[in-house]
Amino acid sequence: MVDKVVELPVTIEIPVGPQHPALHEPVLLKAYVDGETVVKVEVNTGYNHRGIEKLCEQNTFYKDIFIIGRVCGICNTVHTDVYVRALEQILGLEPNRRAKYLRVVAMELERIHSHMLINAVMAEVVGFDTLFMSIMLDREKVMKAKEILTGARVMADYMMVGGVRRDLSDADAGRIAKLVEQVRERLTYYKRVFEEDTTITKRLMGVGVLKRVDAVRHTLLGPVARGSGVRIDARVSDRYDAYDELQPEVVVRGEGDSWARMMVRWDEALVSAEIVLSALSKLPRDGSPVPDERKLPRKFPPGEAYTRVEAPRGELTYYVMSDGKANPYRVKIRTPSFTNIVNSAFLYEGYTIADLPVILASLDPCISCMERAVITDLRTGERRTVPFTQLSRGDKAWRGRGFYLL
Amino acid sequence: MARPRLLPAVVRSLLGRPSTVQYPYVKTEVEAAYRGRHYADLKKCTGCSLCAIECPADAIAMTQIPAHLEAPKSNPRRVYPKIDYGRCVFCYRCVTVCPFDAYVTTNFYGMAGPRENTSEQLSLGTLERVV
Amino acid sequence: MTATLAQAGGFVKPNRRVFTLEPSRVRSVFLDLVRERGQEGFYVSTIVGVDLKEEGLIRVDYFVVLLPEEETVVLRTAVPRDNPVLDSIVDIVPGALSGELETHDLLGVLFQGNPYLRRGFFVPSDVAEKGVYPLRRG
Repeated sequence: MVDKVVELPVTIEIPVGPQHPALHEPVLLKAYVDGETVVKVEVNTGYNHRGIEKLCEQNTFYKDIFIIGRVCGICNTVHTDVYVRALEQILGLEPNRRAKYLRVVAMELERIHSHMLINAVMAEVVGFDTLFMSIMLDREKVMKAKEILTGARVMADYMMVGGVRRDLSDADAGRIAKLVEQVRERLTYYKRVFEEDTTITKRLMGVGVLKRVDAVRHTLLGPVARGSGVRIDARVSDRYDAYDELQPEVVVRGEGDSWARMMVRWDEALVSAEIVLSALSKLPRDGSPVPDERKLPRKFPPGEAYTRVEAPRGELTYYVMSDGKANPYRVKIRTPSFTNIVNSAFLYEGYTIADLPVILASLDPCISCMERAVITDLRTGERRTVPFTQLSRGDKAWRGRGFYLL
Repeated sequence: MARPRLLPAVVRSLLGRPSTVQYPYVKTEVEAAYRGRHYADLKKCTGCSLCAIECPADAIAMTQIPAHLEAPKSNPRRVYPKIDYGRCVFCYRCVTVCPFDAYVTTNFYGMAGPRENTSEQLSLGTLERVV
Repeated sequence: MTATLAQAGGFVKPNRRVFTLEPSRVRSVFLDLVRERGQEGFYVSTIVGVDLKEEGLIRVDYFVVLLPEEETVVLRTAVPRDNPVLDSIVDIVPGALSGELETHDLLGVLFQGNPYLRRGFFVPSDVAEKGVYPLRRG
C-alpha cells in the first residue's frame, strides 16, 4: 500500500560545451532540461580572456593596430578599420577616396566569408556535412580574393592611419572581381538550398524565435536583430569610409527565427558581393592610398573618439581616449558577440536539446571576440517549488521578471 | 517546392579529383605578394633598431654581426635585426617603417619545424667574409 | 591634462553628443527615455568606464543608440574613485547587463540593484581574490 508520493523535480544539467558547442570555440552553455525541453540556460564563458584592452594601454597607438587585428581572426579588418578611424578622428586625418574604397572592398570580402563560414557551420550543426564541405570549398575563393588584396588569407593587417597598407593593381582588381562573380553565383545557389532543402528548413524554421522588442531591449545586434525586423546598420547610419557612395541595401526579415537569421546572412553576402564589384569597377584614382608609415605623426593630441562599424556580426564599437602620451589612455572594445551571447540566454528556453546548438550557431557567436565571461546563478531555493515545464511554458509569475529566468 | 538539384553536385564530386591540397607533399600556391618570410639585407641596414622598437610582436632582437663578416661603414655599431619567425606575426610593420628599405620580402611560408627558426642565416648571407 | 578631458563635454568625435549628468540621475534619465521613446526606441550600446586617477574619479559613459535614426549619444557621469557606486539600470534596460558586469569587474564600479554582479566572471579568480581591478590605474 502506497501512502506517500514523493515528487522529485526531474531536471538534469547538461553541459553543452565548452569544447565544441556549435562552433569550434570555447563557450559553455549549461542547459537545465526537463525531459527534452530546455528550461534554463546559463551562458558560461571566459575560456578565452586575454586582456587585450589592458594590453592596448601598454603599447603605442601604432602597435595597437596590429594587436587589435588579433582580437578576432574572422573579422580582423573591421576591428582594425574601426580602431584606425578612431585614431584618424583624434589626429584629424582623412584618407583619400581610393583608400576608402579599398577598405570597403576588404571589409565586404570579409563579410562574405564570415557569413559563408557561419552558414556552413550551421549546415554542419544540423548534420548536413556535405553542404558544410561544399560551402567551405567555395569560401576558399573569397579567401584567395582577400589574399590578392591584402597579402594574407586571414590576417590582413591592411588598415593603417591615413589609408591602407598596399595598393591594388588593375590586373589584380580584375582577378578579384572574377572570383567574386564566381562566388556570387554559388551564393545564389546556397541561398536556394537554405530556402528549399527540407533538412535545413525542418531544423531551423520556428526555432529560437526572437521578438522585435526583445532584440532591441537586450541589445542584440547585426543579422540577429535584422532577422527580427530591426532596421539597424552602421554602414547606413554612420556612412563611414566609402559607404556614403556605396550605399548597401539593408536586409531585414520579420520571422525572427534561426532560419530568418541565416537567410539575412545569405542576402547580406549577396549585397556585399554587389558592393565589392561596384567598388572595384569605380575605384577612384586620386593618388596613392598607401601612406608613408615613416612620416605618420608620432604624437597624438589629447582627445577621445567613439567609432562604430558594421562587422559581419553586428555593430562593433571602439572608444579610444588619448591623453597626449605615447600610449592610449583607454581603449574600449565592444564587440557584437558580447551582447549577442551574454544577453541572449532567454532565447533557448522552451526548445529541445537538439535545438540548442542550432540557436547558438544562428547567433554567430565569436568567442574570442567577446573574450568575456558571465555566470548567472541559479536560485536554488525557488527551484524546488516550481515545476520546470511551467517555467518554460510562460508562467506569468516567472516571465514577468524580465529577461533572465533565474 | 522544388528542391535544388544536389545530385549533379554529388556526381561531379564523385568523378572529380579531391579538392584537398596534399600539403606538404604539394605546395599551396600563394600570391607573389604574399606576406611570407622576410629578412634584412645587411648591405643596406644601418642597425638603427627602429624595426625592433616598432615590432608589435617583439620578435626582432638586435644582434651583433660576427667578426668574420664585413659590415658596411654605415653600420658603426655592427648590429642587425634577427627576426624570430616563431614569434613573428608577419604584419610587415618592420618592412614599412625601415628608413632605408633594407628588408627583403619573399612569399615563402613553409616555416613550421622543430628547430629554432630565425633570420640569422638569411641576413648574414647578404654579407661577405673579411679577407 | 585629464582634467580638461573630463570637462570637454560637447562632443565625442565624430559628432556624438555628450550629456553630462549627476550619478543620482542616471536611473531617472533612462526611465524618461523609456517613457519618451518606448522600449524599441533606443538601445544601450555599451558602457565605458575610465579611471581618471588624477581627479580621483571613475567616469562612466553610457553610449545610447537612438532608433530608428541610429544616432549615438553619450550619457556621461562620474563617481568618486574611493566609493564608486551607481544605480543599476538592468531592470529598465536589460541590454545594459553585459556592460555593467564588465565595468564592475574591471573597474570596480558597484551597480546597486544589479543582482548578477560578481567578481571573477571576467578576470581570473586569483586576480579577483586579491581585490585587484585590472583597468584601474596603478
